Amino acid sequence: MDFQFSEKEEKLRKEIQEFVKNELPADHCTGMLEDEHLDEDWEFAMSISKKLSQKGWLTMSWPKEYGGMDASQFEQLVYAEEVGYWGIPGTTMGISGVGWVGPSLIIFGSEEQKKKYMPLIASGDPDGVWCTGYSEPDAGSDFANIRTTARREGDEYIINGQKVWTSAAHRSRWCWLAVKTDTNVKKKHHGISIIIVDMKSKGLTVRPILNYVGYHIFNEIFFDDVRVPAENIVGKENNGWYQLMHSLAFERGSVAAGAFGANKRILDELVQYSKETGQIKNPYIRQSLADLAIEIETLKILSYQTIFLMSKGTIPIYEPSRDKAFNDFLMDKLSSIGTGILGAYSQIDPLDKNSKWSKLQSRIEKLYWGFLGIAIAAGTTYNQKNIVGQFALQQPKSY
Amino acid sequence: MDFEFSKDQDMIRETVKKFLENECPKDKVRELMNSETGHDPEMWKKMTEMGWMGIYIPEEYGGTGGEYLDLMIILEEMGRNLFPAPFFSTIALCSIPIIKFGTAEQKKTILSRIAMEGEIWTLALTELSSSYGASEIEMEASLEGDEYVLNGTKMFVPYANVTDNFLVVARTSNKETAEDGITIFIVDAKSPGINLTMIPTTAHNMRFEVKFNNVKVPQSNILGEKDKGWNIIEYILQYATILKCAEMSGGAEAVLELSNNFSKERIQFDKPIGSFQAVQHKLVDMLTESDGLKFLTYEAAWKINIGSPSNMLISMAKAKANNAYQRLCIEGIQIYGAIGFTDEMDIGLYHLQSKSLEFDLGSTEFHREKIINELENQKPLFLSI
Repeated sequence: MDFQFSEKEEKLRKEIQEFVKNELPADHCTGMLEDEHLDEDWEFAMSISKKLSQKGWLTMSWPKEYGGMDASQFEQLVYAEEVGYWGIPGTTMGISGVGWVGPSLIIFGSEEQKKKYMPLIASGDPDGVWCTGYSEPDAGSDFANIRTTARREGDEYIINGQKVWTSAAHRSRWCWLAVKTDTNVKKKHHGISIIIVDMKSKGLTVRPILNYVGYHIFNEIFFDDVRVPAENIVGKENNGWYQLMHSLAFERGSVAAGAFGANKRILDELVQYSKETGQIKNPYIRQSLADLAIEIETLKILSYQTIFLMSKGTIPIYEPSRDKAFNDFLMDKLSSIGTGILGAYSQIDPLDKNSKWSKLQSRIEKLYWGFLGIAIAAGTTYNQKNIVGQFALQQPKSY
Repeated sequence: MDFEFSKDQDMIRETVKKFLENECPKDKVRELMNSETGHDPEMWKKMTEMGWMGIYIPEEYGGTGGEYLDLMIILEEMGRNLFPAPFFSTIALCSIPIIKFGTAEQKKTILSRIAMEGEIWTLALTELSSSYGASEIEMEASLEGDEYVLNGTKMFVPYANVTDNFLVVARTSNKETAEDGITIFIVDAKSPGINLTMIPTTAHNMRFEVKFNNVKVPQSNILGEKDKGWNIIEYILQYATILKCAEMSGGAEAVLELSNNFSKERIQFDKPIGSFQAVQHKLVDMLTESDGLKFLTYEAAWKINIGSPSNMLISMAKAKANNAYQRLCIEGIQIYGAIGFTDEMDIGLYHLQSKSLEFDLGSTEFHREKIINELENQKPLFLSI
């Protein structure tokens, strides 16, 4: 048993903090997925992507030959924690490229695909920005129920259908798209494929969806006879469901570590704010802040255990779902208590960046208004609990 | 980073688990809970022979000089099995501070008696308020000739009925701070003037009111330094608290297992009730709480194991243990339905136990206050680079 980071990991942590000091404004703060909203924020995020790429950190989990660092699981965890704590922008290149397009291409992609797409992501190039087309109006938690089709015609696929809640589609060069390539199958999990679509294709329309605060984070995408070269299929045709399970595992793996960093920052800010306002003397606030500190430490140690399993070469079946569901609960609690501490000032619109009334750069409000999106994305809290029930507790399917 | 125990530690766990399962099944637990002594001296003897008492006691005093984590594993398994014995009071509350603060003579005599003969010890610390602050210590010890004379009342003292000796916390001087002026005495349980009354706890776990009425103690029976005893209490609060967390974590895991198994066997509407999402999601929350408690406990225990205890982590683990154990019991009994509410099911025994352990070594509120106290005195990282 050993709960210590190695010297190499600690050194990386220091280097990242040094990077933050040099490259980010002192009062820098971007909320979750907020970079996609304003042009100026997006450009700044992309400029940081470039610098992260030069450090080798942007795609550190990837093998060296594809522009990565072959970083260990715990180096990746340290990076995710620091990214979360300091709110470093530009780390995901849209939403999918770094996290699962690259890792999935390594396993399932053709040599040509690897050569074409991976360097664009690894170098922090604007042409390395991706979005992911999974959800549809009738395929949310029931993901396999997708209806968007790709019909083979000569050297091309013709795509028709609609995707929804597609984060960063309006900033993306490529779409990692789940489609039905065979509609005459008995089970809906069969006949699914993954295909790479150029967002500049003819017949493809992106329509913004604003969230309730007014942020433009996600979109609808409409496909109207969009023609895609056949070589853009990833892996085997109709093998998409199996491949997707891998992609989703990449997506969920390190979520909790990053969330720990972000939550710890919010807690630190709230303690400091309560000291400055004198609220720290209030016994109820003292107890609430301590309770949050306990839950945040719990998230940390759960995420470390998950990463430990991965570092031993195990594919964790239910732990990432456990951690995500716990983080969803924690963000709710943290932002509810946090807005309570800000009191009436927590209703200041975070879109008004320069409001003289906003506190702590609207950090708390951004979490409060944003966490539901995070809780729903990448599988809702309830879906995660279904997974834990089935695979950790060996219970029957409950849905 | 390594979440695994050593092979030897896995073996300790297996041995303890098997012994407790064989020697102390739940009907035996029930029998002991309602017995006069509250434990089984025969089993205690076997445990002593197997070396459990001396696992953390250095070899020169008859122990095997194991790691703190070894001891933690034993407590985890005892908690899982609801094992009733004065093990925690003897080993966690008394042997650990004696190993650290005892004189050479004290260590030689006391520790070897604990390790080899299974001598029983307990700590008389909390008073009427039942809380763990230094200012709560009002019991007086005054020097008369060569002896100290102890007067006062201690509450919730575990296993005072079978103990051979007490560690008694008393005030020897009134100084500026509450922490100063406290002394710890080694008191023979047979000394005249000690009066016991059993406190009727729902857990039936042998808690006593102990009255000290002009109890005479030789000066040489001080543990550590006169007036500086609070340091020792703080040491106990670190080392024993995490062992208590381990006990609670083992219990919480057992409750999860019981509830999960029950939900697969109980059929309603032609299906096991575990297949209903409301029940299943509740079980998932229980699993997350149980895992969280376990790993928080391990993290804090590891810090102690390498000799640098973190008060923050210790308090986090205890506050989590208090909440999680209770939550698991309550949710678990709801999954059982009416049968869980009866005295026939084991899950009720855990529930009875959890309300007692919650207040051992500090309530949730007490530990949260320690956490925020530390947090507010730290410079936050975002102002530090």
